[in-house]
Amino acid sequence: PPPVSLSSLHVDDLRVDGRGCEDYRHMEIETDVVSNTDGSAKVSLGHTDILVGIKAEIGKPRPMVPDEGYLEFFVDCSANATPEFEGRGGEELGVELSNTLYKVFNNRHSLDLRSLCICPGEHCWVLYVDVLLLQCDGNLFDAMSIAIKAALFNTRIPKVHISEDEEGVKEIELSDDPYDCMRLNVENVPCIVTLCKIAHRHVVDATLQEKACSVASLLISVTHKGMVTCVRKLGRGSLDPDSIFEMTETGKRVGKALHAPLMELLQKEESLGKKRQKVGFLA
Amino acid sequence: MPVDTKRVRGPDESQSPLVFLPPTAQTCEVLRRPGDRGKGDVRPLFARCGLVSQAKGSAYIEAGNTKIMCSVYGPRETERKDDTDMKSGRLVCDVRLAPFSCQKRGAWIQGSEERDLSLALSESMQPGVCLHRYPRSQIEVNVMVLENDGGVLAHAVTCASMALADAGIEMYDVVLGCALRQDGDSCLVDPDFSEERGSWQAGYGENQGRVTVALLPNFNQVSGLHADGEMREDTLTAAVRTCMDGCHKLYPVVQQAILRAVKRKAPPPEK
Repeated sequence: PPPVSLSSLHVDDLRVDGRGCEDYRHMEIETDVVSNTDGSAKVSLGHTDILVGIKAEIGKPRPMVPDEGYLEFFVDCSANATPEFEGRGGEELGVELSNTLYKVFNNRHSLDLRSLCICPGEHCWVLYVDVLLLQCDGNLFDAMSIAIKAALFNTRIPKVHISEDEEGVKEIELSDDPYDCMRLNVENVPCIVTLCKIAHRHVVDATLQEKACSVASLLISVTHKGMVTCVRKLGRGSLDPDSIFEMTETGKRVGKALHAPLMELLQKEESLGKKRQKVGFLA
Repeated sequence: MPVDTKRVRGPDESQSPLVFLPPTAQTCEVLRRPGDRGKGDVRPLFARCGLVSQAKGSAYIEAGNTKIMCSVYGPRETERKDDTDMKSGRLVCDVRLAPFSCQKRGAWIQGSEERDLSLALSESMQPGVCLHRYPRSQIEVNVMVLENDGGVLAHAVTCASMALADAGIEMYDVVLGCALRQDGDSCLVDPDFSEERGSWQAGYGENQGRVTVALLPNFNQVSGLHADGEMREDTLTAAVRTCMDGCHKLYPVVQQAILRAVKRKAPPPEK
């Protein structure tokens, strides 16, 4: 791969495509792209395209936490994205991505799971979050987490009513009005920031070229309050503790700054309502 | 779906009786750690090499009730040959949790948690092994967790390094692992299973998390870092530092165990 100019990284904070070390590529987000889902979003970050679809189904709550619903994550790396994913090649990466998502959401504050409960111990909403990689050009984790946050914002869960008849048999009734839905509070949903260590500096949103030059990266997921929900070191190299602390600080700063513009964009898109121009998949 | 009315079927899904415990028994406040351990103390480690006679190298570790064994096979010829394999070797790590190891019975098919642990172990071990000395070969590291009493990834890392050293695989340094549980403002080093899981009520508190660090002690390089939960950044930084100290505390025990194994395999000449 063509070499990244290290002196320009150190001195001028300039990368091959002209970005600074902490700049993201051009990002496009669109929600409500798939009509069969309860919530969906498509994110393009440079040439990386990720599509997330969320379907809500009624299931049984987990035995240890009877008053909560839960989320299930599946990531599919299909051969559409790159030829390396042909057959079972993409399965390992898919498992790694979904395991990371479970870790990112493995805390009480990201999503209020108690709001997903219908009847404690018997029925709850299970949100199946399916992530599809359409195109891969580096930085899958970041794009994926933004797409999930947008899709969760877009999710409309139908309101259900539990009625009990004389024999005590419970029945679930869906309301007749298709627009009578519950929305999720996605304020605390974290976003992932991946920092790649190249020589002595670290860069945010690395392209595939830059990734090839780095031996180790740090993945950090940050909420809008600056709380860290997941940290992982990726790659085959080792990191100096000081680098880790520096990268954590940068990751927290960049991650925290992502949330406000994202929420603004999502709310603006929603407020356009029917007048919104749908871009779809061809652009 | 046709229902079989002639036979009495058991329940489709069976559950552990622990789920039915009254809530007070589940949310026990851990004020004092069992065994009078301080918050910053690691559990005493029992480590031995050379357990499995068929393997090139093996190791067994016991920390509290966590029992982990590891065997190393290799270097063997690789099955797949691509460009990267021509220049350096491959490290293939496989972590298995025995079905009886956790409170809830596990399945024999490798689940997502085991795949996650295998990937984490492989990422933590790779910086420590001199893979460029074994081109076109692969080294297999198989870790079997016999009993899970907390800190599985951390102790698996330590166990795997000892097994690799016992197998005579060239390494830059031993890789040691240490786990930590952050509970509000206090941190518990080397948590056992109940401390690691915490009570589900405590999960609603602030600053809850688990951190595992894999360290190369002589170079002071971090080869693996895994954290989850929800913590402030400064708490996380302090937790990583504490884990690194915990790793340094383990080093003498591991060194002694490896030396003992080497002396047994190649005894010093009689004077």
